[in-house]
Amino acid sequence: MNPQVTAKSLETEKMVLNFGPSHPATHGTLRVIMELDGETVIKATPEIGFLHSGFEKLGEHLDFNQYVTITDRMNYLSPLCNNVAYALSAEKLMNIDVPKRARYIRILMCELSRIADHLLSIGMLAVDIGAFTVFLYGFRLRENIYDLFEAATGTRLTTSYTRIGGLMRDIPEGFETGVAKVLDEVGKVADEIETLLNRNRIWQKRTKGVGVISKENANSYGITGPAARATGVDWDLRIKEPYSDYDEFNFDVVIGVNGDVFDRYLVRMEEIRQSAKICRQVLDKMPGGEVNIDSDSKFVLPPKEDVYNSIEGLIHHFEQIMPNRGMIPPKGESYVATESPNGELGYYIVSDGSRTPYRVRTRPPSLINYSIFSKIMVGGMISDAVAILGSLNVIAGELDR
Amino acid sequence: MGLIHDTKSNVLTTTVEAAVNWGRKNSLWPMPFGTACCGIELMAALASRSDIARFGAEAIRFSPRQSDLLVVAGRITIKMMPVLQRIYEQMPEPKWVISMGACASSGGVFDTYSVIQGIDQFIPVDVYVPGCPPRPEGLLDGLMKIQKLIEKETFSDYSKRK
Amino acid sequence: MAISDLTTRLQEKFQESILDVSEYNGEVSINVKGLVILEILSFLKSDGFNFLVDLTAVDNLTLGGYDRFAVVYHLLSHENVERIVVKAYVPEEKPSLPSVESLWKSANWQEREVYDLYGIEFEGHPNLIRIMNPDEFEGHPLRKDFPRQGREQRKDFPVVERMTRGKRL
Ligand code: SF4
Repeated sequence: MNPQVTAKSLETEKMVLNFGPSHPATHGTLRVIMELDGETVIKATPEIGFLHSGFEKLGEHLDFNQYVTITDRMNYLSPLCNNVAYALSAEKLMNIDVPKRARYIRILMCELSRIADHLLSIGMLAVDIGAFTVFLYGFRLRENIYDLFEAATGTRLTTSYTRIGGLMRDIPEGFETGVAKVLDEVGKVADEIETLLNRNRIWQKRTKGVGVISKENANSYGITGPAARATGVDWDLRIKEPYSDYDEFNFDVVIGVNGDVFDRYLVRMEEIRQSAKICRQVLDKMPGGEVNIDSDSKFVLPPKEDVYNSIEGLIHHFEQIMPNRGMIPPKGESYVATESPNGELGYYIVSDGSRTPYRVRTRPPSLINYSIFSKIMVGGMISDAVAILGSLNVIAGELDR
Repeated sequence: MGLIHDTKSNVLTTTVEAAVNWGRKNSLWPMPFGTACCGIELMAALASRSDIARFGAEAIRFSPRQSDLLVVAGRITIKMMPVLQRIYEQMPEPKWVISMGACASSGGVFDTYSVIQGIDQFIPVDVYVPGCPPRPEGLLDGLMKIQKLIEKETFSDYSKRK
Repeated sequence: MAISDLTTRLQEKFQESILDVSEYNGEVSINVKGLVILEILSFLKSDGFNFLVDLTAVDNLTLGGYDRFAVVYHLLSHENVERIVVKAYVPEEKPSLPSVESLWKSANWQEREVYDLYGIEFEGHPNLIRIMNPDEFEGHPLRKDFPRQGREQRKDFPVVERMTRGKRL
């Protein structure tokens, strides 16, 4: 709508609207103060920090393996990606090469998490816009993925699956068939969701041309992940700086054109399919062997059979977990960037050579992606706010840490 | 109007208390206060597999004025606590509170400067659901515990409400 | 490699301001004095490091280093797929250094975060207020001398009573 026409035909007053923090579309923890002229937003000031829980302070007080449990709670849509990112950074610090099987399982888990993450974020975007069914469709598949995680890690959400030097344990028997079954469904569910939304008029009206991010802004504001790729930035860390073993798989980077909410949605949908493709390749190529490095290296715990059945194993175990023993990392620092479902997720670890890290910093994609919100909101309608929020997929746990 | 022809088989006797409690317990309207990871499991409880509608509590209301069950799911920080208290106070009586997860109940793993070590220090809590996060089944169990609490309410309890 | 070439050029250009260049595990970090950070980063930006990945700080209280605080910038070059770390040191007394918000907009919130958690001021920042903690919060929690459990901030709330006078079972 042309704003001048509105101004002439209808007298409006400036008004300040407080949006959140307890509002369904802000997912509980975001607050935006909007200045409105009629229904047009002239200024939007996000306020964050409602979930600031001192993750980074806690990191200075827990040892390297204990902190894995804390990383789960950061991005709770895809906790495994956080586990893996943290483990990679800590392993780079300590110069550890994990066995190939562990690397493959990590990729498998990351990609399953990506599917689950995108499904839920699209579902929530749709709920906020008013299409509840999509959420239910997506959640059905997400529950199946939860079942897989539960079989492998013992819990649905807070997985804590990685350890420095490998994994908590190998995947259980029959896991591969379970994954294959879920993967068969992924395509179907993606099709279902796209049938519901892609050509839906209301959906198009509310997402096309809304919240447009330009390529330049994306780089200046540090946007990464699907939000950046939707603008046409060809940047995917899995291809550009392949960590773990991503260079051994064959998949496409999904890139959008317009950088609006609709493109972000399309990029996510296609990434779901690409992730399924990677998972299939992982299953085909899955190597055998151990998932942990040798326990003599003093970095991983000895196998449980040894601990329970032999005195040496038990002593070895205690040597590892007693507060004044265990792994001693070198003095130094490391940063590893990974492509999490939301964008570049990196852990910057500084070590002073003691059992606990000196500093653990998370490079939070949500925080940095969200900082563009006030920019793209200007000139939009008030109802665009929910669509933009949903499409940026801001996870409060990671936003505020 | 002549609708009741046969009083013998169509009349049910009960107490007002029992009838009111029955109605209340099967139509709880939750106000989800999901801030963190537990909020995702709260969503799972609403979604297809667990389906909280079986307990009559699917009418999620994000407005405290329209709800009578506050589900606090997730960490409550020093910045959030005033908001939570405000929301609690805005809810009309009768109201019940579920503290879902370790963080809401005790601070959980976050023994840090900004996380409240248990919301029950500052607002009343009726049922605690343990777990980090509790499974959806756990939340449903908590809901059933609330229903049991409601069953036991008496007339004098209602009148004591301000 | 291009990086070593770059560091020699940097050292020539900013002789006095560069403290040293270190490498650990293939990660190059350039340690510089805080006051010149804006010039150094604009030089790097024009040299291809077009993306500010991350901006954070480290409190060197027990770690040791040139000064009490180091503000850490992670830069990335999309074109050459290279990363570089720049650390700007600032003293304990009145820690402050120029803001780089004019180069990258993403610095805006991250500088606010560093200000909130470490108390380091950024000159020229458009809106330097707390971002994570409430405005009335005292202290800067990520400093090493701030206790993990805080200074009783988490106990400082009124208690809301149950409205019923009688006990609910
Ligand atoms: S109890 Fe656990 S799952 Fe729930 S909010 Fe706290 S950390 Fe997250």
